[in-house]
Amino acid sequence: MHILLIEPDRLQAGVYAQALQRNGHTVDHAVSAQGAVHLADETTPDVVVLELQLPGHNGIEFLYEFRSYYEWLHVPVIVHSFVPPHELAHAATLTKELNVVRTLYKPDTTLQSLCAVIAAAGPVTA
Amino acid sequence: MKPQHVTTGIVLTRVDYGEADRIITLITPDAGKLRLMAKGVRRVKSKLAGGVELFSVTNITYIKGRGDIGTLVSSRLVTHYGHIVQSIDRTMLGYDLIKQLNKATEDEPEPDYFHLLDQAFAALNDGSVSLELIRLWFAAQLLRLSGHTPNLQTEPDGTKLAAEKTYEFSFDDSSFVSRPDAPYGADDIKFLRLVFSGNAPLVLAKVANVAALTERTWQLVSLMQQYTH
Repeated sequence: MHILLIEPDRLQAGVYAQALQRNGHTVDHAVSAQGAVHLADETTPDVVVLELQLPGHNGIEFLYEFRSYYEWLHVPVIVHSFVPPHELAHAATLTKELNVVRTLYKPDTTLQSLCAVIAAAGPVTA
Repeated sequence: MKPQHVTTGIVLTRVDYGEADRIITLITPDAGKLRLMAKGVRRVKSKLAGGVELFSVTNITYIKGRGDIGTLVSSRLVTHYGHIVQSIDRTMLGYDLIKQLNKATEDEPEPDYFHLLDQAFAALNDGSVSLELIRLWFAAQLLRLSGHTPNLQTEPDGTKLAAEKTYEFSFDDSSFVSRPDAPYGADDIKFLRLVFSGNAPLVLAKVANVAALTERTWQLVSLMQQYTH
């Protein structure tokens, strides 16, 4: 699968990318929301993994922008963030309006479980 | 050559059109709601790209179209409420307020809606104003602008509200009705008068005991919204 990883911390991004590549995925990495939109335009991701806390435009802005394009309406997005899910005042909006398939809290998520969630979220292949 | 028009606007929605264009809906103080084709804004180096940001007030030049979609000629950022996006919760509430306002202005909107959103952004941009207060104030202002301001002066029979009594709210009469041991008192009603008047959230935030008053009155205002829709 083609994964768009939006992660501002390059060190962490490297670790995640390595793990995902070992699982047979192709990973494109963006450090900002704007960079992610451009990268999505070029690479057409199957799954997006998103940190909400980004420099400049945040992850929520990215999501609204991303979902405003018809071709990206149904691309699964997994929020993988340092923002604890219970602290998100509008967590329901993420799922209902922005079509986020899972919200993972980074400190509680192993690489293995991240890979499993991505595999489950991705498009079904014959 | 078609005449160009200049106004100020706040972006409500952006949807893509074709490979590089977007249709942008803006609320303006003098031209109502505008739907404009922004050509080429998906291209990285488009000069328009920076001027059509959300949470911003933008000067725009446009050409009216034959149908209801005009063409954006140029845009210039006037005010960008950049602190909003430094908080995930403020960003989410900001999008929610935009959505509510977009829904409330499906018919021809009045200029006040533009100023309402501008004031809401200013409040969201100020970290000292609580999200709960902004949400309450915005809901009250939407009720006011749609002609659903509750009667905060008298009971349905014309009796003036008294400081020593307690009240419940009658949704059918859109008024408070006195009843012993009812949940609302003079402080709540005074606060609601301030919330429904033209005071900005930045002013309301200075009211004593604002957090408790906001919490107590939110459920009522929220129910008023549901009742009027």
